[in-house]
Amino acid sequence: MTIPAADEDVVDLATETDAERATRFERDAMVFLDQLYGAALRMTRNPADAEDLVQDTYVKAFASFHQFTPGTNLKAWLYRILTNSYINTYRKRQRQPQTSGGDSIEDWQLARAEAHSSDGLRTAEMDALDRMPDSAVTGAMNSLSPDFRLAVYLADVEGFSYKEIAEIMGTPIGTVMSRLNRGRNQLRTSLADYAKEHGLGRRGGDDD
Amino acid sequence: MTERDCSAALARLYEFLDHELADADADEIRAHLDACEPCLDAFGVEEHIRARVKRCCGASRAPETLRVRVTQVTTMTVIVRES
Repeated sequence: MTIPAADEDVVDLATETDAERATRFERDAMVFLDQLYGAALRMTRNPADAEDLVQDTYVKAFASFHQFTPGTNLKAWLYRILTNSYINTYRKRQRQPQTSGGDSIEDWQLARAEAHSSDGLRTAEMDALDRMPDSAVTGAMNSLSPDFRLAVYLADVEGFSYKEIAEIMGTPIGTVMSRLNRGRNQLRTSLADYAKEHGLGRRGGDDD
Repeated sequence: MTERDCSAALARLYEFLDHELADADADEIRAHLDACEPCLDAFGVEEHIRARVKRCCGASRAPETLRVRVTQVTTMTVIVRES
């Protein structure tokens, strides 16, 4: 049961003027600018493209704002437009190599089920993570394939639910889970590799 | 604590931390973590990594030039429609 919204949320789309719609758009959509830019930066990996992508997103969002149902999830709606714009234009232009292999759920379930594997980061190596420069973490994130990177970003940075990510990416929930699991596993492996390569977090007495 | 319990807990590590498990399933994991230190460590590492990723990859601030461009999106469209 939904509680009637506050006055400012009651919108009659049929009688709303262009100016009123513009005001409402500015009030409701502009607050997501920083977040959308952050996501765009993670998608395109380059500030100039990220700016263009966000601008495109706002142009498209405003053009179809009359189709958005007030009171529903505006943030997810904007992310959906951002994602579609990215896939339709920037990604084609960037010509990213696609990851091979399907998004099978079994893969990661098997990978995860290996109990207490020592391949990833252990508690003893957590401070290695703290000593890594930010660029190492963003670098590891950027090295993921676009689909994995976006899923991980939407979940870990933006805190979207699986259902919301599925809507934003236009995929079934199972695919979201698979992308998240594989993306996170790859991210952790890269971070562990970085720590090893840079001699971070080596436990006393090991090896040498 | 059997290895099988650990495997089951680790297999649902991400879903647990994503708050995507049903209450009963999440309780089962919590009970396991209370009793199994290696798994608790694994979950702790995972949380730690997430916090770090969020710190590094979130909190971007849009450049002022973009803010201006985006603000013009609505004003320009209104002018076009009204003319």
